[in-house]
Amino acid sequence: MLALFSGPHGFTLSAWHDFFHSSIYLGLFWKSVKMSLIVSALVVLAAYPLAYYLALSGTKRKYVLLLVLIAPFLTSYLLRVLAWKVILGDEGVINSFLFWTGLRSSGHPISALLYSRFAVMLVLGYVWLPFVALPIFVSLESLDTRLLEAASDLGASRLQAFRRITLPLSFPGVVAAFLFVFIPTVGEFITPSLVGGTSGYMYGNQIVDLFGTGFPDWETGSVLALFLLGVIAALTAVFSRFLQVRGATG
Amino acid sequence: MGTEGELFERRVTRRRALQIAAAAGGTVLLAGRASAADAARLHMGAETGALQVLDWAGYGNDGGQAMFAQYVKQHPHNKPQFTYMTNESDALAKIHAGLKPDLFRPYVGWVEYFATSGLVQPWDTSLIPNFKHLNPFMVKAGQYGGKQYGIPDDWGFDAILYRSDKVKPKSNSWGLLYDERYKGKIAWYDDPVENLTIAGLLFGFKDPWNQTDAELAQSQKFLISKKHLVRTIWASETDLDQQFASGDIWIALAWPNDWVQMRAKKFPVIYMHPSVGKQKPIAWVGMFMLLQGTPRPHLAHAYVNAWSSAKSAKWLEDNYGYGHANTLARPSSSDLLRALQLTNPRAVTLPNAYLDRNVPRRALYAKLWEEVKAA
Repeated sequence: MLALFSGPHGFTLSAWHDFFHSSIYLGLFWKSVKMSLIVSALVVLAAYPLAYYLALSGTKRKYVLLLVLIAPFLTSYLLRVLAWKVILGDEGVINSFLFWTGLRSSGHPISALLYSRFAVMLVLGYVWLPFVALPIFVSLESLDTRLLEAASDLGASRLQAFRRITLPLSFPGVVAAFLFVFIPTVGEFITPSLVGGTSGYMYGNQIVDLFGTGFPDWETGSVLALFLLGVIAALTAVFSRFLQVRGATG
Repeated sequence: MGTEGELFERRVTRRRALQIAAAAGGTVLLAGRASAADAARLHMGAETGALQVLDWAGYGNDGGQAMFAQYVKQHPHNKPQFTYMTNESDALAKIHAGLKPDLFRPYVGWVEYFATSGLVQPWDTSLIPNFKHLNPFMVKAGQYGGKQYGIPDDWGFDAILYRSDKVKPKSNSWGLLYDERYKGKIAWYDDPVENLTIAGLLFGFKDPWNQTDAELAQSQKFLISKKHLVRTIWASETDLDQQFASGDIWIALAWPNDWVQMRAKKFPVIYMHPSVGKQKPIAWVGMFMLLQGTPRPHLAHAYVNAWSSAKSAKWLEDNYGYGHANTLARPSSSDLLRALQLTNPRAVTLPNAYLDRNVPRRALYAKLWEEVKAA
């Protein structure tokens, strides 16, 4: 043990103690978790109808539409994020439109559009939408449509069939999609550093800053990183039980 | 000043060393006595590869080529290759992470830190012909323990840039960075020391660069309480200029170059030097430093000599709005001459400005600043 923890400080849990007694770091963690939860939930809600349409509408162009959905991924991540700056800035596309229509007086832009939590969540949602749509699409496309026909024959309405058959059977895809977004976004640091400003600063930024300066605080940085890893692992373990396909009637 | 043999831990192969020795011997036979310059030229011939420079954005191939054009002309096979740093702390992190530049440019407040760190070695000023033209006050600021660890070149101020059509300061004070009237239009600079120091200047502490624990706690608490006013904390000057130009920011801690860039884009801007009470801008002087164990010490000297020429200095003043330590240089614009007080050899110190200085508890300042960002 001594060999493992040699050095000027030796083995200590003081950084963990400081972390759990720090309103700053825990506060930043919960802020990031809340932002990620909101992004993940909203993106899943937005992606589900898209995936539903593509998988079950019977359109012949579904793979073309799917390609259109993921087309933005053919361009640079940075370019896509920076494009939002042009749209969201104080003199950007949205605010200029509001000035032009007279909905906002010139010189009073909606500043919360950029360099804010909103900007971070919007850009993260945009970036991750295709990743969410794909697993839901796969789970819906593999759905046995004979079940829906049987439900219809037995007098179930379309809403009842969706609630009792489609949704439960696609639930693993929804959970997978949710985790696909939540896990990377809770530790995200590039998007907040580009469009987050001071209010959009996230837990991932703090980890980077603690390690990446000339006076790195490795103890605190390690504690923050391990805590994030632990929380993500626990959440994945909890959610993984939902990834198993269950019976249509639950 | 030590001899060249003591100065440079050169890593040459035995074969290469013999080649150099033979060449030097030949020169002695021909010329009778080799001068230091001849010896330097011989050494430079032995140094291979691109010169590795760790410098600030704007000082490399991204716009600063005129500053080292003379070097490139003389050493076309050893053109500089740049890695960019956002501040000294970032440079230190890059070096700790394994980057091996031949030279880099921290600022005057870091001379003591790096001189005592074992990471850098003193320059041999006899290999820098333009050294004699450099401002003696700044030259002295680059010394530690009687050795020249820093070669001064660019200098300027940390002060406040604001849009004069949008912002009406109550006074010429650092307080403009914390003015509630301009919530969401203010940018701070992401530096582990700068913000706590400015808070210390605002509070009138005895030594803002070496605050007591109680003073630091007060400065940190103040910054956390004012952070909601701040829209961005900039690390890249390009980001700051873009935010300023797009109207997202009206007030920022900035450098003279930002003032020049915004004026060139026809923005109504004022570069305000705080002067209320004992408040002053913070002045800085860029100090080229030579890394310990560099395999290209003579090329590094030649590079710094190019940067130190009057021609380069004038170009820097005209195009970036920074001062230059070369006392022969004068900018084309008399506005700039006045703004920088270039005729005043002590423009970077009192009563004009507080020259940036060593911070004994840098790591603590850095920790507290990280907490401000996280809060």
